[in-house]
Amino acid sequence: MRVTIVQGLEQAYYNLVHMIAEFLPRLVVMVVIILVGLLAAYLLGHMLRAVLRLTKLDRVSEDAGASRVLRMADLPSMTELLSRSIFWITWLGFILIGVSVLGVAGLQEQISRLFRFLPEVFIAMLILFLGLVLANFLSRAALLASVNAGVRSPKIWSWSIRFVIWILAISMALEELGLARQTVLAAFSIVFGASMLGLAIAFGLGGQDLARRALERYLGNSAKEKYKEPQPL
Amino acid sequence: MADETFLSDDLLRQLMSVGEVDLLVGILSHRSANSMRRAAHYVEKSLQQNFVRQRVAIISVDGGAVEDSGSDGSGDGQPGNNAYSKGLTSLRTIHRVTAGFNGVPSPGLALRTILSSSDLLRAKACAVVSPATSSTSPEWVANLLRPAFRDSFDFVAPLYSRHKFQGLLARNLLYPVTRALFGRRIRELYSDEWAFSNRLGAYCLNEDVWHEEPVRSRPEAWMGISALTSDLRCCQVYLGEKPPPPDGAGPDLVEVLRQTVGSLFWLLETHQQAWMECKGSEVVPTFGPDHAVTAEPMELNRERMFEMFQTGVKELGPILESILSPETLASIQGIATLDQQSFRFGAELWVTMLYEFAASYHHSVINRDHLVQALVPLYRGKIYSFLAEYADASAAEMEAASEDLCLEFERQKPYLTEKWKAGVEVKS
Repeated sequence: MRVTIVQGLEQAYYNLVHMIAEFLPRLVVMVVIILVGLLAAYLLGHMLRAVLRLTKLDRVSEDAGASRVLRMADLPSMTELLSRSIFWITWLGFILIGVSVLGVAGLQEQISRLFRFLPEVFIAMLILFLGLVLANFLSRAALLASVNAGVRSPKIWSWSIRFVIWILAISMALEELGLARQTVLAAFSIVFGASMLGLAIAFGLGGQDLARRALERYLGNSAKEKYKEPQPL
Repeated sequence: MADETFLSDDLLRQLMSVGEVDLLVGILSHRSANSMRRAAHYVEKSLQQNFVRQRVAIISVDGGAVEDSGSDGSGDGQPGNNAYSKGLTSLRTIHRVTAGFNGVPSPGLALRTILSSSDLLRAKACAVVSPATSSTSPEWVANLLRPAFRDSFDFVAPLYSRHKFQGLLARNLLYPVTRALFGRRIRELYSDEWAFSNRLGAYCLNEDVWHEEPVRSRPEAWMGISALTSDLRCCQVYLGEKPPPPDGAGPDLVEVLRQTVGSLFWLLETHQQAWMECKGSEVVPTFGPDHAVTAEPMELNRERMFEMFQTGVKELGPILESILSPETLASIQGIATLDQQSFRFGAELWVTMLYEFAASYHHSVINRDHLVQALVPLYRGKIYSFLAEYADASAAEMEAASEDLCLEFERQKPYLTEKWKAGVEVKS
C-alpha cells in the first residue's frame, strides 16, 4: 500500500519534472520569439514612420480630408497611426507564433483561425479608410458645386453624399468581415430605401411649388429669373 | 522639331502639298459652322489684302467645341475656294488645311497641331483666331500678324475695347497678378486671339507640358508666360471692340475660374524661379490705345451676387480655414456680415487673400481644383464691391483704380514669396 503510494507520488513527481523540463525550453523559446518580435516590430514601425514622413503622407491625408476625420475621432496623424498599427500587428504576430510554440492543445487551432481572419480585417479597414477619403472628397466637391451654383442649403447635399458613402463603406466592411451578413444587407436596404422614399415624399408633397419652379426653369419658361453676372473675360 | 507622329497622315499629306509658307493662321473650331465660315472669310480677306506677296496658309483645327464644321475647310492642301476672293490683290495662292483628331480635342491639342504645322511649313509668324469672337475683322488678323512678321516680336497679345463691366476677372485678378509677378504689363494673356513668331513656336513645341490640364485648357496663357520668362520680345496690339457673347452663350463663371485661375496658379508653380527673381514691372510696346472702355447701361443681378458671396463665406468656412490665414479669414468673415450699402472688398484684403490662395495652391493644402472653386464666391464679393464702387466712374477713374490695384499687388509680392517659401503646417 505504502509502496504503491510512494510509487504514485514518484510517478507524479517524475511527470511534473518531465513536463517542466519539456515546457521550460518552450517557454524560453516563446519569450525569445516575443522579444525578437518586439525588436522587429519597433524597427519596422520606425522605418515605416521615416518612409511615410519622406513621402509626405500626412499632406496627402490632409488634402483628402482623412486627417480631419482622424482628429475628430481623437486619433493621431495618418503616419503615426500606420506606424503604430504596423508595430502592433507585427508584435501580435510574433506573440501568436510564440504562444503556438507552447504546444497547448486547442490554442493552436484558435491561433490559426485568427491568422486566417487577419486579411479580412485588413481589407475591411482598407474599405473603411477609402470610404472615408472618398466621402470627404465627394462631399466637399458637392458643397463647392452647390455653393457656387447658388443652391439653397448646400450642406444638405454635401452631408447626404457623405452619409450615403459612409453607410455603403460600413456595409461593405462588415460584409467583408462576414458579420451578420443578412442583417447588414437588410439594414442597408432599409436605410437607403427609406432615405430615397423620404426624399421622394418630401419633394413630391412638401415641395410641389419648388418642383414646379424647377421644371419651369429647366424648360426655359422663367427666363426672367435667370441669374446674370458680368462676363469675366 | 515637330513631332510628326502626333499629326495624322491626312494632315501631313495636306501640309506636304502646301510646302513652305511665310505666314500661318490657325482657326480654332467652333460649334457654329456659320461663324467658322465667317472667320475663315475674314482671315482669307485679310491675307489677300495685307500680305500680298507672302506665302500663306490657313489651318482650321478642331479645338473641342465643334458640332458642325466639316464643310469649312476645303482640305487636301489645294488652293482655297475663291468665291469671296474676287477683286482682291493677293499674288499668291492661299492654302487651306483642315485638321481633326481621333482623341479628345482640346484647345491645347489644337495649338499643338498649329505649332507642329507651323514648324513643318517653316512659317515665320503665326496667328490664332477664334470664330467665337463675333467682331473679328480682316484688320484684326493683319494687326496680329504684322508685329510678329515685320517687327520681329515673338508674342503679340491683343487689346480690346470693352464695356467697363466686362473682363472684370482680367482687370481684378489675371492682369494685376501676371504684371506684379512676371514684370510685364500685358493686359490680355487669356484671350481668344494672339500671334507668335516661329522662335516662340519652336520653343513651346519642344516643351513637355502638353498633357498638363492648364495647358490643355488655356494654352495661350502658358505661351505668353513662356515668352515673358524666356526674355522674348512681347507686345500688345489694339484690335477693337470685343462684344460679350449673347445671353447664355458665355462660359460658366466657375469653369472660367477653374481654367484661368487654375492655369495662373499652375504657371506660378512651374515658373517660380522666374517670378521670384523679377522686380517691379515695365510697359511693353503697344500698337494703338492701351485701354478703351465703353459705358452703356447693363442689366446685372447684383443682389444675387452679394447673397452668393455671403452664403459662400458662411458655408465654406472649414475649407477657407485651411486655405487662408486666420487674420485674412476673419477679415473676410467680417465684411460678409456688412449690409449691401456699406460692403466694400478693399484692394489690400483682396490682394492678401489671393496671394494666400496662390501659396495654398503651391502647398496643396487641399485638392487644387477644390481650392480654385473655393475662390468663386469671394470673387463674386469682389465684383459686387467693384460694381458698387465704379457704377458711375469714368474710364480714367477706372484706369486709375486699376493701376492702384496693380501697385498693391506689386507692393505685397514679398508677402507671397514669404508664404510660398514657408513650409505648410500639417496638423498632427
